[in-house]
Amino acid sequence: MIRGLRKWAVPFAALLVLAGCGYDDTTVPKPEAVVTTPAVPTTPVKCDNKLQSYAPSDNRGAAIANLANKGRLVVGVSGDTLRLGSRNPETGKIEGFDIAFAQRVADELGVPMVVRVISAADRIGLLEKGEIDMVARNMTVNCDRWSKVAFSAVYYNATQKVLVRADAEKDYKGPQSLSGKRVCAPTSSTSVDNIKAIQPDVVAVLALKHTGCLVKFQNGDVDAITGDDTVLAGLAAQDPYAVVPKQGKLTDEPYGIAVNKGDVALARFINSVLDEMRSDGSWKDTYDEWLKPYLLVDATPPTPVYGR
Amino acid sequence: MSQTATPQAAPPPAAAATAPAPAPAVAAKPTPGLVDTPALLNRWQLIGMTTAILFGVFSALIQFGGWQADGRAADDTEQLVRVQEIQSSLLRADALATNAFLVGGLEEPEQRKEYDDALESVLRQIANAAEAQPADREVLATLNVDVTAYATAVAQARDNNRQGFPIGAEYLSGASTELRADALPILDALVKANTDRAENAMAGQHPFWLLVLGIVALVALVWLNRELAQHFKRRINKGLAIAAAIVLVVTVVTAFAALLRDNSNDSLREGELATAVSEANARTAANDAKANESLRLINRGSGEGFEDLWSVSAKEVEKFASRDTRSGWDAYVAQHNEIVELDRAGKWDEAVEIATKEAGGSTESLDAFDQLSQQIVTANGTQATDDLRSGRVVALVLSGLTLLLGVAAAVAVSRGIGERRREFA
Repeated sequence: MIRGLRKWAVPFAALLVLAGCGYDDTTVPKPEAVVTTPAVPTTPVKCDNKLQSYAPSDNRGAAIANLANKGRLVVGVSGDTLRLGSRNPETGKIEGFDIAFAQRVADELGVPMVVRVISAADRIGLLEKGEIDMVARNMTVNCDRWSKVAFSAVYYNATQKVLVRADAEKDYKGPQSLSGKRVCAPTSSTSVDNIKAIQPDVVAVLALKHTGCLVKFQNGDVDAITGDDTVLAGLAAQDPYAVVPKQGKLTDEPYGIAVNKGDVALARFINSVLDEMRSDGSWKDTYDEWLKPYLLVDATPPTPVYGR
Repeated sequence: MSQTATPQAAPPPAAAATAPAPAPAVAAKPTPGLVDTPALLNRWQLIGMTTAILFGVFSALIQFGGWQADGRAADDTEQLVRVQEIQSSLLRADALATNAFLVGGLEEPEQRKEYDDALESVLRQIANAAEAQPADREVLATLNVDVTAYATAVAQARDNNRQGFPIGAEYLSGASTELRADALPILDALVKANTDRAENAMAGQHPFWLLVLGIVALVALVWLNRELAQHFKRRINKGLAIAAAIVLVVTVVTAFAALLRDNSNDSLREGELATAVSEANARTAANDAKANESLRLINRGSGEGFEDLWSVSAKEVEKFASRDTRSGWDAYVAQHNEIVELDRAGKWDEAVEIATKEAGGSTESLDAFDQLSQQIVTANGTQATDDLRSGRVVALVLSGLTLLLGVAAAVAVSRGIGERRREFA
């Protein structure tokens, strides 16, 4: 009897082992690859004088009548460009140099200002669609953009520069020092093209916004950031190990306030407000409040060019 | 048993008793045309005992497998609930982080603690889940890395925000985006794998096969009895009858018990387990929606893309939320719609006020939904695992008894046929 039971014990034990066999390892399906189509190169648009805007007019009625958003001035701004347009975490308000100009225009129009945080890539599209009335977001005036939107007279002359790590400051001799280095700039800005034209060996890295570049910089994913000196000053203010070395300008970046291409009345009105700000000293007050502490130089308002 | 192990030598055929002794090789062989009854009895004994033993072994194995399956189902259900808890807590943490960011200024200590608790719960549950299910360990290790990266990014966001640096918002939105791109697919895979495991294990009872096995054994024993009856002019062999009775009783009892467990598992799968899984899905989606509401407002005026994501999550909640939590969700939705309306009208400050105020805002509504939802998940998950574990001892005892009764049936067969052998001798 016992010997018979022993005979069954082995296959029985084997079956028990089989019955208790383990699980397959959990696997995570691989995400589908995103297919991106390369951007079609565009032919540069030429114009006689990109700085030339419309003659100023204080016709408030005409300016208000053309607003896409009735009864309020919807302004596209940056929410994360320190000193130009950024959210104050303490108050939740968006504030900065650009915002001060937009607020003055709304005040002169006598309508409430509604700020809408937009990315650099959205500036023209939202104006064209009429979702916003105005863009006050460190927007450089150029011929290509003039073909899509209308600009005010230049309200600030920025220049393109480069931000590097503090330990690379003394070795930085200009764009030639960036050969083989990873340099970040926002998508849809011309900054990378400008620097690549001078130093083709730059490795361009794109982020959605300048703060995205600073995150990459802090995480060691890029070696430098390029952009307007105003923007770079704001980035350096957020990181003690990021510096803008003494350097010559790479390009001029004249800022204008953009409106819908057909909204000339508003462009004229903005120009009259800018004239007023230049003459009553509020331009200088605004500059001294927001930019001078970081750029550390005195500045004078740009001379407006009209006649368009 | 000893009779089968050492079969008796076949007695010489009666007709050959007076014949001269044949050569040894020829003498062992039965004369053609005559039945070698002892050899036949040995064969029948072997068939009968094998039938009884095999019935006992396989029936016991099927029940043992069922017992194991119920245990696995309970463990898998616990793991499933644990993984869904990780998913919900992670999105809860994200909803709290994004909402705190929206408030601005110094974070409320209570809200900070709630975030810390949610994240601590996530990390503890990941460790527990890795210990509970080795098959999940590798992906949980990856998840651990992702959650740590998320927590680091949120900490960087908070530190920068406290210094008034806009880069804090970038760290926060980056953390939320990475969380959804990296951690959530892992959690989705874990939920799916453990749902499949729990459901498969719950289908581990096989009353049909127990019945088939019993019928096959009974047919074999009845056939054997008929053969014996034809040779010995006795209709029923007592040993075979006892063995058949054992097989019949064991089959009826075990198949019925397995059927009861199977039905109970079916009702658990469609009842408590389904409710726990659905409610956890609803809770996860609701917190995802709240985080998207905050991100919409953080991206002041440009958050319509987050509204699309909110709508996707809201549809999930509507699909999965139980009747008990539905009214709480509807209250939140009404406030969310008001927030959207105000934001679209350019009244951002008022929209933020509704989204962040402690009493009467969308945060309070969502918190109420979240708490009730979590209670429902926990209650139903616990009920499902308790039910799966209850009565398992009975199943194990039945399995062991079946094996012993299989042996007893084999002994009965042996004795029954041994009786015929003695009669023949």
